[in-house]
Amino acid sequence: MTTLARRLIFLALGLLAGICAWPLAEVILFLQSGFSSYLVFSVFLGAVTGAVMGVFFGAAEGITSRVKSRIAAGVLLGALVGCIGGGVGLLAGQEALWMIGTFVMQSYANFQRVVLPLSHAIGWAILGIFVGAGEGVRAGSWKKIGIGILGGLTGGLLGGFVLEYGRLAFPLAGYSRLIGFATLGCAIGVFYGLIERGMSFGVLRILTGGLKGKEFLLNQRRMRLGRSPRNEIALPSYEDLADRQAQVRIRKGEVVLVNLEPRIPILVNEQKIDESAENRGAERRLKLGDVIRIGSARMFYKYE
Amino acid sequence: MTLKNRLAFLACLLFFPGIASALTISLAQIDASRLLVTQNVQAYVSVTDDQGLPVEGLEPGAFSIAESSDGVSFQLIPRISAFTPNAGAVAGITFLLLIDDSGSMYDTLDGKATTDANVTRIVHAKDAVRTLLAGMTNPADRVGLAYFNTSYHLLSRPTTDRGRIAGLLDGIQRPSPDQAYTELYASLTQAAREFAGIEGRKAIIVLSDGENFPYALHAGKAHPVFGSRIFTFREPITANQEEGNTIYAVNFGIGNAPDRNLKEIALQTGGTIFDARNRAELAGVYDTIHRQVAGEYLLTYRATLTPAEEKYVRARVVVPDGEASATRFYFASTVFGLPLRGLTLFLVIPFVLACLLLWGLTLLRLERKTGPARLEVLQTQVGRPVTRIVPLTSAKTVIGGSPKADLTIVGAPQIREQHATIIFDPKDKSYTVVGTGEIFVNNQPVKTRTLESGDVIDVGGATIVFDDEGRPVS
Repeated sequence: MTTLARRLIFLALGLLAGICAWPLAEVILFLQSGFSSYLVFSVFLGAVTGAVMGVFFGAAEGITSRVKSRIAAGVLLGALVGCIGGGVGLLAGQEALWMIGTFVMQSYANFQRVVLPLSHAIGWAILGIFVGAGEGVRAGSWKKIGIGILGGLTGGLLGGFVLEYGRLAFPLAGYSRLIGFATLGCAIGVFYGLIERGMSFGVLRILTGGLKGKEFLLNQRRMRLGRSPRNEIALPSYEDLADRQAQVRIRKGEVVLVNLEPRIPILVNEQKIDESAENRGAERRLKLGDVIRIGSARMFYKYE
Repeated sequence: MTLKNRLAFLACLLFFPGIASALTISLAQIDASRLLVTQNVQAYVSVTDDQGLPVEGLEPGAFSIAESSDGVSFQLIPRISAFTPNAGAVAGITFLLLIDDSGSMYDTLDGKATTDANVTRIVHAKDAVRTLLAGMTNPADRVGLAYFNTSYHLLSRPTTDRGRIAGLLDGIQRPSPDQAYTELYASLTQAAREFAGIEGRKAIIVLSDGENFPYALHAGKAHPVFGSRIFTFREPITANQEEGNTIYAVNFGIGNAPDRNLKEIALQTGGTIFDARNRAELAGVYDTIHRQVAGEYLLTYRATLTPAEEKYVRARVVVPDGEASATRFYFASTVFGLPLRGLTLFLVIPFVLACLLLWGLTLLRLERKTGPARLEVLQTQVGRPVTRIVPLTSAKTVIGGSPKADLTIVGAPQIREQHATIIFDPKDKSYTVVGTGEIFVNNQPVKTRTLESGDVIDVGGATIVFDDEGRPVS
């Protein structure tokens, strides 16, 4: 899967996340009067919304890496993290909304046009931050947390404004909130897909086998490579390599390939990577254009 | 609040004014800052009598609270969970001093024309303001200054720098005849907005000598700002009740009657009217206001969860000889906003659709099928390939810069016309690359080489991958 396709999938998942969360939110909103307090209402509404979004973004990595078992694991963990993030996020967003709203609302003037949209957008943005960070928490990556926060912040602000001004422009339209949700989801998805480019150290493109054409972004300090689906670079359908065969490390701005199982050689440009370098495993600094062979898998290291 | 609600709210105020009896209740402040955590709202109310003096010693049973999401239909709160008398905040009060600068303010106190500037009402009014400023003992108090005649003029927004306010008094000068009208109601309505962004107790002290004398009504032409609009005395009451401002009036109308509604405006907003002749009373204005704030009752109650952007609170006090009520609102908007008017089954559609599409995405072909042997250009340093993917269907496949080559890379001068050839050997079904120029396979320089699937051929800076998944990688 190329990077473009990967981004489109993230965008699609974000859009679907928003579309899926919307009807649930509408039902809960409709039942607002039946809740015992604003606290329970906010936490419940946020948790459900966050969990749905978490499901979609949690599935993303499994879908793009084409590893089915990772989809299930991602969905479950994504739902859990999203549930917590959404609950906390909506609570924080609600409190911020009221603090700002009350502060700005000391005067009645401009209430509709300024106070409501602004404070709503900030409330949404805070929810977005928490939901967006969820996928990073799930993946255990600070970078993804940062990316998600930026995406959630942008999407929340946009979504909040879209919702509010949509509501002002078309007071009878019930779907302005749907557009708000979709905007939030899309923005988070786009950011997950986009910012990785600037933060990545190139891609490993798979040249052979079932994952042919897939490009793994090198965007984490340490990425494991091997047959196990738990690896960041998971090659489950390949032969002659170990479950945890190698690690790709980013060290001082250089990409280093470390062989964790020296019994199975790794070839870079048809040369075994230097086994004498360190006793914990052979390693080699990768240059753009290197051709790597690990078992039946061939890879090409390129700038994106 | 929609326009409709606003009108309904206004209508309520018009037709059911806080029971024009001896009693006035005003909602000085609604504190909903702990609403999310405790579900509680705190309302500070002050109760004043027909003299505008605070009524103390009331029991909890005298009060009741109702909430509304539209300002029209109210839901009685079953219980006031906490009741604290004398709960007024000791934090500063924000004042706006509003001085009448109409023509009649340049007469003597008893309403006679004079050429002696020192005996005019405006001089007394400015004196009164200085007395007030000097009497303000709380350093946290803030004061703003405005004056009005045909128009409303703001000299200073509320500030703690009271010396500056005293200095600004000299800026109030005798108006031209066209500017000398008394837009009392319009000005009090406009002044209500001067407290934007300010929390706590807010009071307007208006010093005036006569009745509302609108320009549009008496000058026979449209007002430069308001046009033909005539403000009723209800408008300053509504505007200031909405903002939680209390109006105190100082009457300079000796000899001629003060505005007949000024007292009502003051009482309806929880304030009172003072007589300018009585210096002792004038000096006591500040103390009276402070005493009233200190005498406020604090009512704590559990808020309703009815969806609303702003929630109206109506406080009502009932005593044997009268009753009164007042309404204000607090901000109760939720992040996702108001619910739909009704739920429809159609809501299921996007939910199911999104779930199905997610399921569909997980079914994306996870393994790629094998195809015939082919070459794919991954990247070029210079130039670009005419086609990125070329199937290896003939015995010889030529890679080069020539348009006749099977895989042509244009715009790369270092690539020869026929730089490399892939030769198919039908005997063992192998492909061999032969270079006429310099070529690399897997970054190793070669002249000729039998290819395996996944081999990367470099032809003059163009990176081409050989893909023959039909054959196992050795």
